[in-house]
Amino acid sequence: MLAAVNSSGKAEAEEWQPKILAFCCNWCSYAGADAAGLERRQTPPTIRVIRVMCSGRIDPAFALMGFLEGADAVLITGCHIGDCHYVDANYKTRNRFEFLKEFVDELGLEPERLRLQWISASEGAIFADMVREVTENVKKVGPSPFRKSWKK
Amino acid sequence: MGACYLAWATDEKIRDRAANGGFVTAVLVAALEKDLLDAVIVVKKEDVYEGIPTVTSDPETVVKCAGSLHAAPINLTRFVVEFYKDERNKGKKIGLPAKPCDARGIIEQAKRQQLDINDVYLVGLNCGGTLHPLGLREAAAEIYGIDPDAVVKEEIKAGKLFLSLQSGEERECKMDELEERGYGRRDSCKMCTSKIPTMADLACGNWGVPDGEKATFVEVLTEKGEALFRNALENGYIEVKEAPEESLEVRERIKNAMVKRAEEWWQKLDVVREFTRDERLKFYVETLKLCIHCGACRIVCPVCACGDAAKCVSMHDERDDYVISMYNMIRLLHLMDSCIGCGQCEDVCPVDIPLTLIHRRFAERMQRKLNYTPGMSVEEKPPFYEAELRWHDIL
Repeated sequence: MLAAVNSSGKAEAEEWQPKILAFCCNWCSYAGADAAGLERRQTPPTIRVIRVMCSGRIDPAFALMGFLEGADAVLITGCHIGDCHYVDANYKTRNRFEFLKEFVDELGLEPERLRLQWISASEGAIFADMVREVTENVKKVGPSPFRKSWKK
Repeated sequence: MGACYLAWATDEKIRDRAANGGFVTAVLVAALEKDLLDAVIVVKKEDVYEGIPTVTSDPETVVKCAGSLHAAPINLTRFVVEFYKDERNKGKKIGLPAKPCDARGIIEQAKRQQLDINDVYLVGLNCGGTLHPLGLREAAAEIYGIDPDAVVKEEIKAGKLFLSLQSGEERECKMDELEERGYGRRDSCKMCTSKIPTMADLACGNWGVPDGEKATFVEVLTEKGEALFRNALENGYIEVKEAPEESLEVRERIKNAMVKRAEEWWQKLDVVREFTRDERLKFYVETLKLCIHCGACRIVCPVCACGDAAKCVSMHDERDDYVISMYNMIRLLHLMDSCIGCGQCEDVCPVDIPLTLIHRRFAERMQRKLNYTPGMSVEEKPPFYEAELRWHDIL
């Protein structure tokens, strides 16, 4: 039994795990991530969360910097449209995300590497599902090209 | 469409120097002399290959600058912005002859509160494109077989480029032939689809002028244009006649042909189109890694108004060692909605990165998606800065 655990553990350690950068807003999606934990939902350990006060603070340049630093995917999350703590800032997020999406596609990164998700404070399930889904999709497309190649 | 006229300068001296009827020069001189404008920005001709933008209130200087200059691809936007940066010039009225890219750049700067569009009088010029000075020098030597420094005059007429020598000898070559051999207009001009400056106050040019007549075809587009036109006409600087129906048709036909040609050029010059996703990334990484971050493209860019606190500079750190620098990433991102495709960045780039192509690749798809053309009207705000958007029509 011990051998089985060890071998499966070893196999898992060898499997490549993506590194996913997630921006969460303080009022909804960060609380949503918290809720996912409180509800004991299983999520892959691939995610690194950066908390911001509002998704409207997320400059597309932050996401680009994330990619350049080697993130395999970048998630942008915030309150649902109409629920923003700062009234209308997530409209701006939505606007900028459209630019970011076109940019990333034109640059030659797979669209799977970028996602915008609205998560309310009680939607732990949505947070967990999103992480699982993105992890699976990114595993399919492999490590970010910025990570593996062209490095001097 | 505004009222259209055929117009020419009454002053013999202006008519002789001018490319067509001398209307543009006459209108600017009239506006200066009758105090409608405080200053004008004109391009002073140094030689065939160089023009220097000059701010002047002296009508004589304006007359000296009459005539077109094809091989000095300057964008005047930044000079207008610099003019208004001086406190003493606040509220002054200036006028300038503006190619469509000048006019669009100035309108983009007005959207970004760098100047008040009501102070700037844009005498628009029809533009088929400009030549790169170095390209013209090479063409003079290779194709025309003459010493580039001996050329005293260049002229584009009926699809041909004429170069004249001191002796009065004139050589010609078809533009199409030049372009097939890799010379001719700059790439940005080849693919540019704004040929008639409908966003300016007046649109002037020789398209639609009947053969043999020395006149300028003028379309009056705005109240400011009307003021310039009336001032010159009522004070006897110009003579006009109503543009005949066929002139309008000819002008429209030339424009349509040029736009069609520009679209074909874009198909041809856009080499990235054929690439797969991975090849595209490789192309961008390998061309942009040549960048030495001198910042010249940002300084000449007619739509950039960030100044010293620009994000592309402050978020960039030479020590980062990213495969594509943050400077390039942010510039590409910020110009997606606003790039007017003037090609200034590529002209000044010391390492010859094909910036026009790269910026157009990113901007074209976004502008098409947004159904937004930058630099057409001050009322349309840049979509990147808008909160509530036209996404509602798309999503």
